[in-house]
Amino acid sequence: MSHEHPASIEIEGLVKEFKKGPRAVDGIDLRVDPGEIYGFLGPNGAGKSTTVLMLTTLLPPDEGTARVAGYEVRRDGARVRENIGAALQEAALDPFLTAREHMRLQTALHGLPKAERRKRGDSLIERVGLGDAADRKVGGYSGGMKRRLDLALALVHGPRILFLDEPTTGLDIQSRTALWEEVAHLARDEGVTVFLTTQYLEEADALANRVGIIDHGRIVAEGTPESLKAEIGEPSVEAVPSDPERRGDVARVLERFGSGDGECPHAIDQSIAVRLKGGDASLVDVVRALDREGIEVAHLQLHAPTLDDVFLAKTGRTLEGSGQSDAQAPAPADPREPAASGAATA
Amino acid sequence: MRFRSVTLGIAWRTLHNFFRNPTLIVPALLFPLFFFTAFAGGLSRVSEAPGFDYAAGYTAFQFVFVLLQASAFGGVFTGFGMARDFESGFGRRMMLAAPGRTAIIAGYALSALVRAVFIWVLLTAIALATGMQVGGDAVDLVGLYALAAIVNFAAMMWAAGIALRFRSLQAGPLMQTPTFLILFTAPVYVPVDLLSGWVEAVARVNPVTAIIEEGRELIAGGGADALPAFGAAAALAVLLAGWALLGLRRAEAAGG
Repeated sequence: MSHEHPASIEIEGLVKEFKKGPRAVDGIDLRVDPGEIYGFLGPNGAGKSTTVLMLTTLLPPDEGTARVAGYEVRRDGARVRENIGAALQEAALDPFLTAREHMRLQTALHGLPKAERRKRGDSLIERVGLGDAADRKVGGYSGGMKRRLDLALALVHGPRILFLDEPTTGLDIQSRTALWEEVAHLARDEGVTVFLTTQYLEEADALANRVGIIDHGRIVAEGTPESLKAEIGEPSVEAVPSDPERRGDVARVLERFGSGDGECPHAIDQSIAVRLKGGDASLVDVVRALDREGIEVAHLQLHAPTLDDVFLAKTGRTLEGSGQSDAQAPAPADPREPAASGAATA
Repeated sequence: MRFRSVTLGIAWRTLHNFFRNPTLIVPALLFPLFFFTAFAGGLSRVSEAPGFDYAAGYTAFQFVFVLLQASAFGGVFTGFGMARDFESGFGRRMMLAAPGRTAIIAGYALSALVRAVFIWVLLTAIALATGMQVGGDAVDLVGLYALAAIVNFAAMMWAAGIALRFRSLQAGPLMQTPTFLILFTAPVYVPVDLLSGWVEAVARVNPVTAIIEEGRELIAGGGADALPAFGAAAALAVLLAGWALLGLRRAEAAGG
């Protein structure tokens, strides 16, 4: 396959095997293009973080090659580090330092000119909404504030590629939404390539241009969220008649729109469900048909395939933690779309 | 340029925490002062033992040991901080940002030296205030503090090697115990010629003996042949710097 632009991240046959353990990463290949948000989705222990550690030069691969920003991670580690920013799974912050002091350290670590350090640090602190807390010790910060500071620290040297390892784990809805908006803004408006690992389906769905699903160290599926879901099948419609006696009539109507490919997973109790052969566009026709037949409907719902369905289809299991993520997940507007206000705030 | 920037950044942060955190600074000050008071004050009659012919007096005799001991433990305690940083994940932040990771060790080493200088100033002021005799000239004293600086560096490198291999504060005793043993099997209370038995045998092969004895000669103004002491100190420093660098490679292989 040929590509017009050099990849931001290019991996071939990457392997990491820990002593007395299974292969944490078992020969993965992937490519992430500049400006893309790549969602790396998988359950705990799937190999997501190990992959990130290798790509960020924190852990040497055992086999295979990985090029980040055009540099090979083993041979040109220092060059890779110059071009990347990373916020790892746990925000490693010093509880005795303030946000401003963290910035001072981080700008020194990245060798920013002294004259720019203060300005750059202050602007990033403001950008992630920590201006009022900038001179407070980080030990007293909430989880969301720590994550935002960690993100700001990762951006201090203007990296071309940003690695975010489960950035919203444990955050409340407000903090999660703010972080999503900031990440989307980075990719959309600043052209930063984002490699995002997550075990939250809706996070990958909402943010990522493309998703790679990893399980037991191998990539089991890759594509845009839409294409992956389309592989699973058409959306389904579920209906519950107001009069239970008319269940048969509802079934006959729905059959006309169904793809006839067997059992639909969403049919439960009194409901009847079919996969729509015409996709979600045929929902309107379903409603019209039910109306023409004079059937009153108590409940009508369209179920689009989710990434969890994709994960189930590819691995035979549901994604661990998806229940938790569903419970916590907000339903914000797609953050990849330009914000109406024109400014992403955290 | 980046090496210097990383080194200074890490040293600044380590010192910032040291000077602002009473749980770090108070023990670092109290221990050498306690040892100096106990050894120089409480054991001063040891100098009346037959054959004890140190010209500068027992206060100067013990000052040198406490100075070197405080320098060594300043290095070890900096290693504790390094282990804590790697245990908490803060080490990864530094590993991710620094283009050349040797600068990380250099940053901790610089902070260990500044800590040591701070303690030297205090200890020297107290020793002089309590009547310590100084027979050596300025060159001798520079030599004494240079020896202390090398000991500080060597101890820091030892502790860094442990910290980077274990990346856990639980490895603290591994940093501290050998340092304690090598210091206290040197001639602490009397000159090496007054020791006997296995203690003397161990002291004579202990490289720290030459360093302590030369330090005592320097403060008394008689440090004519400094080569063995500086040679031993430099050899320890080089050896342990290699140990720390290998530890860094181990930390890199383990993912920070």
